[in-house]
Amino acid sequence: MSATFTIWGKLTRKMIVHPEEIFGFMIQPVLWMVLFGVGMKSLIGSAVPGDGDYYISFILPGIVALTALGGAVGGGAAWQGERILGIVKEYIVAPIPRMSILLGNAASTVSKSLLQALIIFIVGVLMGATFSGTPLGWLEGLLLVAGYSLGFAGISLAVASRTDDPGAYHMMIMMLNLPLLFLSNALYPLESLPAWMKIGALANPTTYVVDGLRQTVLESGSIEAGSELMPLWLSFLVIAGFAALGMGLAYAAFKKSIR
Amino acid sequence: MNHSDGTGQFGELAIEATGLGKTYDKEILAVNDLGLAIESGQIYALLGPNGAGKTTTISMLTTMIKPTEGTARVAGFDILREDDKVRASIGVTFQETVLDNDLTGRQALDFHGKLYGQSRSRRRERSEQLLGLVELGEAADRRISTYSGGMKRRLELARGLMTEPEILFLDEPTLGLDPQNRTSIWDYIRDLKQRTGLTLLLTTHYMDEAKKLADMVGIIDNGNIVAEGTPRQLIDQMGSDVISINGHGDRGQLLEKLQELPFVEAASSNNNIIQVGVDAGNRRLVDVISAAADIDFTIEDISVAKPSLNDVFLKHTGRQLRDM
Repeated sequence: MSATFTIWGKLTRKMIVHPEEIFGFMIQPVLWMVLFGVGMKSLIGSAVPGDGDYYISFILPGIVALTALGGAVGGGAAWQGERILGIVKEYIVAPIPRMSILLGNAASTVSKSLLQALIIFIVGVLMGATFSGTPLGWLEGLLLVAGYSLGFAGISLAVASRTDDPGAYHMMIMMLNLPLLFLSNALYPLESLPAWMKIGALANPTTYVVDGLRQTVLESGSIEAGSELMPLWLSFLVIAGFAALGMGLAYAAFKKSIR
Repeated sequence: MNHSDGTGQFGELAIEATGLGKTYDKEILAVNDLGLAIESGQIYALLGPNGAGKTTTISMLTTMIKPTEGTARVAGFDILREDDKVRASIGVTFQETVLDNDLTGRQALDFHGKLYGQSRSRRRERSEQLLGLVELGEAADRRISTYSGGMKRRLELARGLMTEPEILFLDEPTLGLDPQNRTSIWDYIRDLKQRTGLTLLLTTHYMDEAKKLADMVGIIDNGNIVAEGTPRQLIDQMGSDVISINGHGDRGQLLEKLQELPFVEAASSNNNIIQVGVDAGNRRLVDVISAAADIDFTIEDISVAKPSLNDVFLKHTGRQLRDM
């Protein structure tokens, strides 16, 4: 646990050395909200007068998920960089559990995602999204984001452990990334999807984090018109399973890479 | 494999390996039936060309990879069953420079100490002390990206010592350094050994490094130790002088003929070169040439030299180790 924290601390410190990186990761979610959100808001608003604000609330969890995916991609790339440079060897010969090495990297991804989620919530408020505002709801929401981010961080680490080629890594991650975002309820309500997409969306953890965020962070009344919500415990269960699966895959791939 | 409890007293074995082997992907044999017995407080150099199995051996002893055959005890602990205890007892520097360019020298040492669970005050004290030792005090708060190759190597040496290991592993510690930096790294290593009684296992493909630093040298080739001894012992095996002959003719016959001569202490043939160890080279040169003439062996090149580790290496591996 302390090794996880130590590695997390180093990665965070490394980031602070590069202000442009901090600027990028703070500004990216804002851009998504403003450019994509405003565009869609006016589109929806012109079709159904007055529903634009509702759509901002609707896509906000999707943008949180999207930025979490982006953060995880970065975490995997950083891990691959440390592997190529050999920095991982310093961890491997240290008397610390192998898993803590991976968790240190994943924790860095998760903490970034949580910060980005908060930025998105704030920009969302400014743009007219309606929030439920109970502290417990926000806590639950952030917990879901953390679990989702951890799961995808694990998948990125697994892929990054298997290849030394940055191009191959990004190619594979993009292939996973796109369906995770679009084959879900993030941008459109589950009910409006054709059956095959609906099945795909139900098998996608993104659907559960988005659905969970709609219930915990956003004011649920503003959502119900467009979509039917799943029980919250299901979201937690699926996200917890996804986090465990992701880190398990990362562990197996890492072990294999150092045999 | 039965004694040693990890206390590391003098005369006890710091590293003990039997039948150690590593096969990659079921066919590439990197290390084969390797045995090692390194006493506490010694500097032991594994000398061999690239691809001889030096790094694979170090990787197994430092628990980075698992052997496919045999096992070893390092600091009294089994590398397979007690890998965490081994890791806590050793320091390692790798063949390639492995440093985080975004950190400062001081931060790199502090991070390392933290990984090993050192307290804040201990880390501060230790890094201060070590930065002084490797003469990086003034550069300590600069980012590592601004360091020269020699400074990076020195910082890595300090990092390997940060946690006060019983055994320090150095994989090619002076690879790619200029002569001046190499000499200063050697000075630190010798100084360390004298002051702390640390056991050092280093790999190198530089003859002079093995000769100047090591108490014991193991020549490794094709994943196996082919000769072992103090540098002096290894060189003395070759005779007082070595006459090297290159030419055309029946080498086997020449070798036989030379071995019959009373003043020849050792004779071997490897890769077209015949090495003859004799008691006094200049005096015996004529006899050696006439022996060759007797059997119509055409000499193209003949030289007399004091034997070096290079000759020892050639004798055991059939290859030249090119210095630098």
